[in-house]
Amino acid sequence: MSWLDICRETRFVLHKKSVALVLLVGFLLALFSVWTGSVEVAQQHATIERMQKADELDQAGVTKRYDEAGLLAYYTFHLTYAPPSSLAFAAAGVRDVYPWKHRIRMLAIEGQIHESDTQNPELAMVGRIDFTFVIAVIAPLLLILLLHDLRASERAAGRLDFLSITARTGYSLWPLRAVVVVLTLWLALVLPFIAGAIFNGVSAGLILSVIFIALVYILLWSLLCYWVARFSFSAPVLASFLIGFWLLTTFIIPAVANVAIDKGFHGPQGGDILMTQREAVNDAWDIPIETTMQAFVVSHPEWADKTQVKSLFEWKWYYAFQQLGDEAAKPLAQAYQQTAEDKYRAAGWVAWLSPATLLQRTLTDWAHTDAKAAWRYEQKVRDFHAQLRHFYYPLLFSDDKYHAEVLDARPVFKP
Amino acid sequence: MSSAVMGSKVLAIAKDEWRYWRRSSLAQTVLLIALVLAIASVWVTQAAITATAEKRQHMQSDATQVFEAQPDRHPHRMIHYGHYLFRSPPPLSTLDPGIDAFTGNAIFLEGHQQNSATFAEQKQSSGLTWLGKLTPAYVMQVLTPLLLIVLGFGVMTREREAGTLDFLKVQGVSPLTLILGKAVALAGAGLLILAPLVVGALLTLLNGAALLPVVAFVFAYLLYLAIWCGIVLAVSALASSNSTSFSGLMAVWILMCLILPRIAGNTASVALASQGKLETDFAVLQSIRDTGDGHNANDPAFKALKDNLLAQYNVTTVEELPVNFRGVVSRYSESQHTDVLNKFAEQKMQIEQAQADIARKFGWLSPVIAIQTASMKLAGTDLENYQRFLRKAEAIRFDFVQSLNTLHAEGLSYAQDANRYASQQAQKEATVSSANWQILDEFHFTPLAPTQLFANSLMALLQLFCAMAIVVGFILFAGRRI
Repeated sequence: MSWLDICRETRFVLHKKSVALVLLVGFLLALFSVWTGSVEVAQQHATIERMQKADELDQAGVTKRYDEAGLLAYYTFHLTYAPPSSLAFAAAGVRDVYPWKHRIRMLAIEGQIHESDTQNPELAMVGRIDFTFVIAVIAPLLLILLLHDLRASERAAGRLDFLSITARTGYSLWPLRAVVVVLTLWLALVLPFIAGAIFNGVSAGLILSVIFIALVYILLWSLLCYWVARFSFSAPVLASFLIGFWLLTTFIIPAVANVAIDKGFHGPQGGDILMTQREAVNDAWDIPIETTMQAFVVSHPEWADKTQVKSLFEWKWYYAFQQLGDEAAKPLAQAYQQTAEDKYRAAGWVAWLSPATLLQRTLTDWAHTDAKAAWRYEQKVRDFHAQLRHFYYPLLFSDDKYHAEVLDARPVFKP
Repeated sequence: MSSAVMGSKVLAIAKDEWRYWRRSSLAQTVLLIALVLAIASVWVTQAAITATAEKRQHMQSDATQVFEAQPDRHPHRMIHYGHYLFRSPPPLSTLDPGIDAFTGNAIFLEGHQQNSATFAEQKQSSGLTWLGKLTPAYVMQVLTPLLLIVLGFGVMTREREAGTLDFLKVQGVSPLTLILGKAVALAGAGLLILAPLVVGALLTLLNGAALLPVVAFVFAYLLYLAIWCGIVLAVSALASSNSTSFSGLMAVWILMCLILPRIAGNTASVALASQGKLETDFAVLQSIRDTGDGHNANDPAFKALKDNLLAQYNVTTVEELPVNFRGVVSRYSESQHTDVLNKFAEQKMQIEQAQADIARKFGWLSPVIAIQTASMKLAGTDLENYQRFLRKAEAIRFDFVQSLNTLHAEGLSYAQDANRYASQQAQKEATVSSANWQILDEFHFTPLAPTQLFANSLMALLQLFCAMAIVVGFILFAGRRI
């Protein structure tokens, strides 16, 4: 195999109109996905920035208005959010299904954390074109279109034997032709990604990892196509085999496995968490205050000698039963979360049977846009809420007089 | 040539094609896969949606019972106790669940705020359905066209490659007759694959679906599969070889089924950014501060209300009023807040609507988008129907909060109310009887009227008809070139 061979085959391949068209379509799709992905990430950053400003104003207003810790805790919302990572433009993941922003306050967390301020459900259902989709789903199809008739078309044109005989070495014809096609497709797809990644500030290591994994993925499909193309069936039959394999691994296995997983894992209904939490919180109004306080000090023994109340409404009692509401719903909430995690883990095993899903899970993992990232964010919000309680309880339970300076020590959410 | 002769020729050609399929293991495999997928999807979705509907109905009646079983209480406490609504899926959602999994299915109704619907099922999913779910709608919309392509790419090119095309022409079979015969053959396959969906549709009639949307639903899918049979036929008739026919059809499928729907979605969300609820909540909070906090009857914002009321009853202090001023304030401020809340909620819904409309315009380019829209609209599982649920929930929220506020104003005296934290006894007196909690109407979310569902789907159906007309045009054009 010589440089001459490479140049000749490259020219030949790229001069075929159908090949050039497929490559162009691949390039344009990758470009479109990178562009819209970047716009969307920019929109999310802009949203966060606007909300930060509005949140500051809102908090300042509330702080000026009230001078009692209980009222402040009731009326002050705290913005929490998970900004999109630099790679999010290439792997949109589930940020349109799971919330990435919340405003929470000192009331029971279970009543707040399940709110989800997500975007248009109809658009979420249709899904979107991101770079991950282009590589995982579209690239194999383009490869099939490009490679399935590698030999069959020459066979149909009656040139197969002639070409095979005149080739200088075994490698300088079919493998070379395939490699040229595959590498140009890979370049057409990853060039827009690299431009987008630099624009979005993705680290060099991560860019290399993504284009490398894209290459491995494309090579695996190419090997399959190349191997199938050896059989002496007609081109459409070969392509049907390949499409069938693609359909099976990309759609059918995940869809069927999803049904099985839904059948196999059962957890509490979301509605039950809210109902349990509500009952616990509301019952507190109808039972003696001491009962609530006694239950509260079980988890907060440090306030055991500060639980006596002077009137029928005191903020410390109010927040104590909010805490108890969370504690009552905790087992259900944990089981609910555990079910989701179990399902996701089971899906991880299925992904080994579905290369497209495996790639999607990997890239969304790197981009922090998968369900696991959403759960990490939820945990952060819960931790932050716990910090708020830790901050407010001394103000509510101790007899110290409230003054505005204490708010300087109030926790601020950091993503 | 009499039509009877032509008819028998068409049928003979179709039978010949079917005979060919029976001998081809590829065709048999494809038909088998398609049928298994169609049957499995109908079965699985039917079971899942039925279970979901039962669960939600159960939780709904639980929620109502629990509410009505509450003890004597201060009415405002019940406003914060709140009530839950569960969205139950419409009958045709067993065939097209639409956005059901992507929207929350429970909504908490309480005073002073509009909560979003929570617990979208997709959040509890394995994440394996990122490309599509095993639903009849998805199988028909995306997978069936692919299988029709594999089955039929060679219907015309095979005759051409084998040289039988000229032979048939010499025998006096006109190209149009040939195409018609092949069309009948393909349509037969399409009908076979569609059969499970038709059975599913008949079942929904038993489960209370109205006739008109169900008929239109089945008809839309018939039309859609006819379009694909037409595309397969046209490309196969125009292509020079089996290979080009197959590659061309694959390209059309990838573009129509995989790429365009997502391009439509990306375009809609990039063209029109929607503010989330969280962001508009800032404005709501601000406006609520301006209109006064209903928990505080002494808020200066309520001075005009107070003066008016005192003048109306010709008294000088709120204690002398025949109604409980605190309840009046509560009712007044709730209605003020609700105006603000509704303004923003309406804005958000309209932007989402506009986004969806942008995406649906792509239905002129791809019949897949058209059938998705038509299907969801007829099934009542699209964005409009979800928003209808949200509006209905809001109306119920407002009614139930205001009836409790009226109870607060008329069922308690101002003195009782103001002194409720003074002692246990006072607290007990500041309650109303639990008999008053029977205010919840039996909540059944009724989707749009059947004629309305049908009317809403007309645009998408028109898109399908246009696609059909274009495909027929291509076929006639191809027929002349043979």
